[in-house]
Amino acid sequence: MLIIIIMCIGILAGRFVFPQKYKNKNEILQMICTTLLIFSMGVMLGKRENFFADLASLGFKSFLFFVIPTGMSLFLTYFLTERFMKKEERQKENKNTDRAEAE
Amino acid sequence: MAGLAVTALILGIFCGVMEIDNGLIHLICSNTDIILGILMFSVGISIGLKKGIFQKIKAYHFKILMIPSAVVAASILGGAICGLLTGCTVRQGASVAGGLGWYSLAGITIGNLAGEQLGSIAFLSNLLRELFSFFSIPFLSKRFNYYSCIAVAGATSEDTTLPMMIKYTDEETVVLSVLNGVICSAAVPFLLSFCYSR
Repeated sequence: MLIIIIMCIGILAGRFVFPQKYKNKNEILQMICTTLLIFSMGVMLGKRENFFADLASLGFKSFLFFVIPTGMSLFLTYFLTERFMKKEERQKENKNTDRAEAE
Repeated sequence: MAGLAVTALILGIFCGVMEIDNGLIHLICSNTDIILGILMFSVGISIGLKKGIFQKIKAYHFKILMIPSAVVAASILGGAICGLLTGCTVRQGASVAGGLGWYSLAGITIGNLAGEQLGSIAFLSNLLRELFSFFSIPFLSKRFNYYSCIAVAGATSEDTTLPMMIKYTDEETVVLSVLNGVICSAAVPFLLSFCYSR
């Protein structure tokens, strides 16, 4: 919840206070934060006891439990969004174009 | 960005394995909440700089729930299938996949509920999901559509995979990604316990 509040404050800052000219610097900050977070995740994994042993012994089952649910999420979402969200966007774009042409 | 991420991950694992724990590494690892807070503030600024984004989001109405619903349903069903394939029960399989990429919570919770082995499977499979989503976003955004990037990320679409969303999709998708992450993250504890309730 705190994360959402922080992001909302950021949105307000971006909308009303933050100068557009610092957009690139803001992107660099995001890259630095992401790299640090991934690094700390790596440290946490490396420190975990039996991490490599678990990876070797349970690797195939874990892979299966990753690939099937992730693959199904990907294809179901792709199908639904192509069917219901993209179409609506296209219709809206077409309407706007028609209106612009009529005017 | 992907190259930088791989380097950071490998370097981090190396430091963890070798137990290199100097002041800087300790400072980074003990302040991840603050780093995530800065990242989210920065992401908020990126969204705020984009004009007209909320009008676009409003136009989706209830369809905004389509992505998280699809992610949860497909993950649970996929987990149940895995359970059948690997000799676990359907409920156990569904609970492992119910982590939706949140490997720390899924690993610990399932470890306590169903034993160390299934807990380790939950940890590794959800970790793989997070890593895969992180590195596949550039490919998925080109070959599928932007919403597909949110689907693979699951519960991580509001934090760790968000920078990749910002880099390879658009601001509208980023907002949907955060919403999806919030809904999925809220659902994970329920999914994990629901799969073990009678």
